[in-house]
Amino acid sequence: MRIPEVRLSATTDKPAWNEADRLGALRAYEILDTPREAAFDEIVNLVAQVFDAPIAVVNLIDEGRQWFKAETGLGVRETPLETSFCAHAILMQDSMVVPDATRDDRFSCNPLVTGEPGLRFYAGRLLKSAEGLPIGTLCVLSDKPRPEGPTALQMQTLQVLAAQVMTLLDLRRALAAQRQSEAQFRAIADSMPQMVWSTLPDGFHDYYNARWYEYTGVPEGSTDGEAWNGMFHPEDQARAMSAWTHSLETGDPYEIEYRLRRHDGVYRWTLGRARPIRDEAGEITRWFGTCTDIDDLKRSDQAKELLSQELSHRIKNIFAVVSALIALSARQHPEAKAFASAVRTRISALARAHEFVRPHTETSRPTVGSMTLHAFLADLFKAYSDLKGEPRILLDGDDATFDDQAATSVALLFHELATNAAKYGALSREDGRVTLDTRRAGDRFILTWTETGGPAVSGPPTHTGFGSSLASLSVEGQLGGRLERNWLRDGLQVVADLPATALSRRRAAQNVA
Amino acid sequence: MTARILIIEDEALVAMELRFVLEDLGHRVVDTVADAKSARDVVRENDIDLALVDIHLSDGPTGVALGRELGQEMGVTVLFMTANPGMVRNGVAGTIGVLSKPTDERAVQTAVDYALRRRQGEPVMYAPPELQLFG
Repeated sequence: MRIPEVRLSATTDKPAWNEADRLGALRAYEILDTPREAAFDEIVNLVAQVFDAPIAVVNLIDEGRQWFKAETGLGVRETPLETSFCAHAILMQDSMVVPDATRDDRFSCNPLVTGEPGLRFYAGRLLKSAEGLPIGTLCVLSDKPRPEGPTALQMQTLQVLAAQVMTLLDLRRALAAQRQSEAQFRAIADSMPQMVWSTLPDGFHDYYNARWYEYTGVPEGSTDGEAWNGMFHPEDQARAMSAWTHSLETGDPYEIEYRLRRHDGVYRWTLGRARPIRDEAGEITRWFGTCTDIDDLKRSDQAKELLSQELSHRIKNIFAVVSALIALSARQHPEAKAFASAVRTRISALARAHEFVRPHTETSRPTVGSMTLHAFLADLFKAYSDLKGEPRILLDGDDATFDDQAATSVALLFHELATNAAKYGALSREDGRVTLDTRRAGDRFILTWTETGGPAVSGPPTHTGFGSSLASLSVEGQLGGRLERNWLRDGLQVVADLPATALSRRRAAQNVA
Repeated sequence: MTARILIIEDEALVAMELRFVLEDLGHRVVDTVADAKSARDVVRENDIDLALVDIHLSDGPTGVALGRELGQEMGVTVLFMTANPGMVRNGVAGTIGVLSKPTDERAVQTAVDYALRRRQGEPVMYAPPELQLFG
C-alpha cells in the first residue's frame, strides 16, 4: 500500500498575504459570533451527505481560534487553533485534502487524531474574500480514512458550495453597508436645519426628515403622497403644484418660494428646491428636495429695500432743496439770475442721472423705459423737444448700459452740449436738429454729436466757456476718453471717444474678476 | 389767467421757491401746507383751482391718495410734483400728471398753464415735454 501523499493544489511556504490583512478582511464581514443561520446550516448538511461523512463545517479562522458559522457533527461553535486542520488549509492556494491523518506528519500527533474523536479524513475548500484573502474554509471530516481520496464530484460540490458561502457573506456585507449608508443619510438629513424630502420618479412623497415633522408639526407619514401641497398657503398651492408638475414632466430642477405652514399655524416664506437622481441610462430614479425657511432673510431684504428707497428719496430731495435754495438766493440779486438758472439746470441733469442709475426696486423704477444710455439721454433731451413734443436731438446706433460712476459725467457732458446748442447752435433755430450716434467699435465706445440747420459756423470760438471746460473735464478727466470738437460748416460736431468699459466700470471690473 | 393754487409740499425751501415762481406768473397761492390733513382743511374752506402735490409729505407718502381724493371728490385740478415720479408710474385717477423735481421756472409755468387749460376745457394740442401725463 502506497503511502498516501497529501494532495495539495499548490504548495505555499509563504502566503502572499499577511495575517493582519487576513484578519481585517474576516472582521469586515461582521460574521464572527453571530447566531446560526439556516442558509449556512443547509450547506454543511449537504456537504456531509455528499461526502458521506459525519462532520462538516463553515469554519472561519480567527485570531487564536476557529469559529464555526455552521457545523454538523461537532456540537461546538469554536475550537482553539492549535488542533486545527483548517489553519493549515488556509496556507494552501485553494483546497487541502488529507486522506489519512495518521499518515500525515502535520496531523499524526494532533490530539484530535490520536484521541477522540479520532479524525482521519479531511477535505477543505478555502473561503476567499473578494480581495483573495482566505478567511476560512468549508470543510468535511471523517473518523474513517479514505486512501482513495474524495471523488471528483465531491470536490466539485465542495468548490461550488464554498463559493455559495462566500456569496452569502458578500451579500450580507453589502446589505450591512447599505443599511449603514442609509443610517448615515438619515443621521445627516435629520441633523440638517433644512427640511429634506424625497419622492418616487412620479412625484409620490415617501420620505421626510425629522426636521420636516418638527417644523410643520404634522403626524409622521401624514404628508406622504400628494398631501404635502396642503401645507402651503392657499394662494401658493396652485403655483407650487404647477412648478412641481413641470419639473416632474421635464426633469428640470425645481425651485420655488412659497409660504409653508409652521407648527404654530404661521405661514413662513420658504425656499423649496429639488433635483432628480438619474440611473446610468439617464432615467430619473428619485427626487431629493429641501425646504429652507427664508422668512427672516426676506424680511431683512424688505427692510433694506425700504431703507434704500428712503435714502434715495432723501438724496433726490436734496437736489430739489439745493435747486430751490439757489433760486431763492438769486431773487435778491437779479444780476445773478442767468448764472443761477445755469447752475440749476446742471443740478437738474445730475438729479436725472441719479434717478436713472441708483439701485431700483419695482416701485422706484423710472417711469421712462429701461435704464440704458439711450433711455437716459432721451429723458435728458426731452426739454429740447419741438412744440409738438417731437424730439430735436435724434438718437441712433448701439445702446448700452451704464452705471452711477459714468452717469454724472454723461449727464453733464450732454447737458452742456444741449444747452450750448440751444443758445448758439442748431437748437437755437426752429428747424435745427442734432443727431447723436453712439457706436461700439471694438474696445471703444464712440459718441458723435452732429448739429445741422443752425447758424453757419465760421470757425472755433475765440472764447471757451465754463460749459465747454465742464464737458472736456467729464470726458477726459472722469471717463478716461478723448473729446474732439470739429467746427464744420453746417454746425458743430463733437466726438467723445471712450474706452468701451467707461460706461460700466464696475461691471467691467466684475467680468475681469 | 390767474388761478387759486394750493402748494402741498413738506420741504419749506422748495415750497417757498414754488410760491415765488407762481406769484411771479400772476397766480394767487392760497396756502402752503406740509401734510394731507391740512391740505383737506384748506380745500374745504377755500376755492382751489389747482393743487401742486408732493408725494412724500410730513405725514408719510400720503400724497398719492390725497391727490386722488382732491381730484375725484373735491373738484380740484391736481398736478403731482415729486423727486420720485416712479411712485405714480401707473397714473392716479382724476389727476393730470407728474412733474419731476428739481425742475425750472419754465417747466413749472408750462405745466401749470397746461393743467389750467385742461380745467377750463380749452383745447390743448401738446403737453409740455417735462410733464408726464396720466391716462
